[in-house]
Amino acid sequence: MATSRRQFIAGLLATGLAPKPTWADAGSPSFLSAGALRDGTFVLCGIDAALNPTFRLRLPARGHAAAAHPSRPEAVAFARRPGAFAVVIDCVSGEQAAMLTAPAGRHFYGHGAFSSDGQLLYTTENDYEAGRGRIGVWDATAGYVRIDEWDGGGIGPHDIKRLPGSESLVVANGGIETHPESGRTKLNIATMTPNLAYLRDGAIIETVELPRDMHKNSIRHLAICSDQRVAFGMQWQGDGRAPSLVGHHRLGEQVTLMPPDSDAGRDMQGYVGSIAVSADGRTIAATSPRGNVVQTYDVEAAEQIGSLTIEDVCGVVQVPGGFAVTSGTGELRYLGDTLPTGPGRRNDLAWDNHLIQI
Amino acid sequence: MKRYLLAATLVCAPVQAAADPSIPDIIDDHILPRFEALATTTDTLSHVAQETCLPASEDLRRAYGIAFDAWISASHLRFGPTEVDDRAFALAFWPDSRGATPQALAKLIADQDPIAFDPDSYADVSIAARGFYALEFLIYDDALLQQGDAQYHCTLVQTVAADIAATAAAIHRDWVEEHADVLLTPGAEALYRNDEEVLRELLKALTAGLQFTQDSRLGRPLGTFERPRPTRAEARRSGRSARHVTLSLEALHDLAGHLAAGDAALTATLDQQFADALARLAELDVPVFAGVSDPQTRFRIEVLSQAVGTIRTTVLTGLGQALGVSAGFNALDGD
Repeated sequence: MATSRRQFIAGLLATGLAPKPTWADAGSPSFLSAGALRDGTFVLCGIDAALNPTFRLRLPARGHAAAAHPSRPEAVAFARRPGAFAVVIDCVSGEQAAMLTAPAGRHFYGHGAFSSDGQLLYTTENDYEAGRGRIGVWDATAGYVRIDEWDGGGIGPHDIKRLPGSESLVVANGGIETHPESGRTKLNIATMTPNLAYLRDGAIIETVELPRDMHKNSIRHLAICSDQRVAFGMQWQGDGRAPSLVGHHRLGEQVTLMPPDSDAGRDMQGYVGSIAVSADGRTIAATSPRGNVVQTYDVEAAEQIGSLTIEDVCGVVQVPGGFAVTSGTGELRYLGDTLPTGPGRRNDLAWDNHLIQI
Repeated sequence: MKRYLLAATLVCAPVQAAADPSIPDIIDDHILPRFEALATTTDTLSHVAQETCLPASEDLRRAYGIAFDAWISASHLRFGPTEVDDRAFALAFWPDSRGATPQALAKLIADQDPIAFDPDSYADVSIAARGFYALEFLIYDDALLQQGDAQYHCTLVQTVAADIAATAAAIHRDWVEEHADVLLTPGAEALYRNDEEVLRELLKALTAGLQFTQDSRLGRPLGTFERPRPTRAEARRSGRSARHVTLSLEALHDLAGHLAAGDAALTATLDQQFADALARLAELDVPVFAGVSDPQTRFRIEVLSQAVGTIRTTVLTGLGQALGVSAGFNALDGD
């Protein structure tokens, strides 16, 4: 049924008679996720609220995260670092609507964000000869042409998000320099200095660093509350136990780091893969595929409160009343604010790092 | 390779560990002898430098080479004592993608910075001005040899050598006095909760060592076909680039053999794959990978790099499963 409706809409579009398509025309998916099929090929999938796949579109190589256009049924799937492509997919027709190619001397990090009106797409990029992070600016109204480039405020920008109700962006600068000619080798661990950088109209309005003894804590992933608080997940590049892997910050305020209790901290194996914050802003969920665990943290008390074992869990996103998670073993399930909720679904593919809400 | 990896990681049924490695053997036969050799040879280097600090001195260069060999053979063991106070980086600041080492040394020389007269305070200088790669610049780099006054240069050689020896001694001491026991006595409140976590640490050292040799030691000089980067080869001034690949593969083979103990088929596969990579390297006969710009030689270096990649795949999948610590699709991603 959905397919025929989609074909019908596509036909109307071809004649130029139809109203502009919306996400409803793409089967009203609630989420997007990249995945790997058993045959070694890679896809971007739409997932509905009942956790059923709605569409499955082929990607040229392994994906990482995706960005959903705020109004048009259009998704941008980013290549895994150090990929140089991002595919814009028309989620109604399943066709490739545009292809973004990183300019010479740049590669993508796998994340991007739209402006509130959906006219601009921002991408995190590596200017690898200079060893600086850049933010690519693309015009989504004109076939995604590149129109500008900004300094990203640090080295190794990874996740990027827009603060709700504003055009300000926040960038997780992981601090780690890499060069595509030496693969994913980390070139500056001894001197790395991650930060959170806030940008408005291409200017850096605030940069926040971690305490000096945490300079090997690479800030990678972000989730934003409605009150503009930014939750961030880190990956520990130092030796031994990570002092903290989850924190939050709001523009103009101090950083709060969440020290997990010692056993729970070790369960994460120094690695947070994805992060989400609950709708009420009171709970942060962080996943560790290395530790096969998803943990929840109380924002106000700044402490870890819940923990659930799920093999190779990574994607996590906020949903009403809790979170949804995905895993590399194909699992998709809903969790409450402080975890369990029933069994989920298992699909015959490996869900890649990030689950994206539409 | 991707296809193979994925197929292996999608199998989620519990796998019975097939290998039966001995952690005490790994400590006694693989780890401790390497850090003891590092401490001894760097101590000798420091003493030789006190006798003769002339960069062209055969004795100094020989002692430097022997000590550097000892470091490369231990350099994959990046956990515990090597990571305290960034000791491993203080011994080995490489890759140096921004040229921080020659810059830091040139500044010390231009300023005649008195810190060079005090080996104990030298640990406070930029980490890029310390260790084997800094010393290589001081005794092999033509440009740096022309700079500043000879006496100051001599003092800097002696101080960097003494600093290397002090760092190596501290690593060795910590291994003998503390860290060997840390690996042997996992527990609920300990750094490692069980043997499995210790084995995972050792497996990580092996995979990271293979990746470093493939991506940095081979990948950096290879660059791209359009733009090979021979001047990025590791320790090319002292003619040691290919030697480092040999030494690292030999050390990693030894560790892999210990970890695969008890799994005859896997051991045979690893033996064959390491032998293949080492044979390809021996045939190459390009000490500093200058041939990356020549299409024929370049192709052979690329094949060598793939051979190292093949070993890494075997380790990540086969050895990870044999040890019962294999990682999943997302766990392996690293982002």
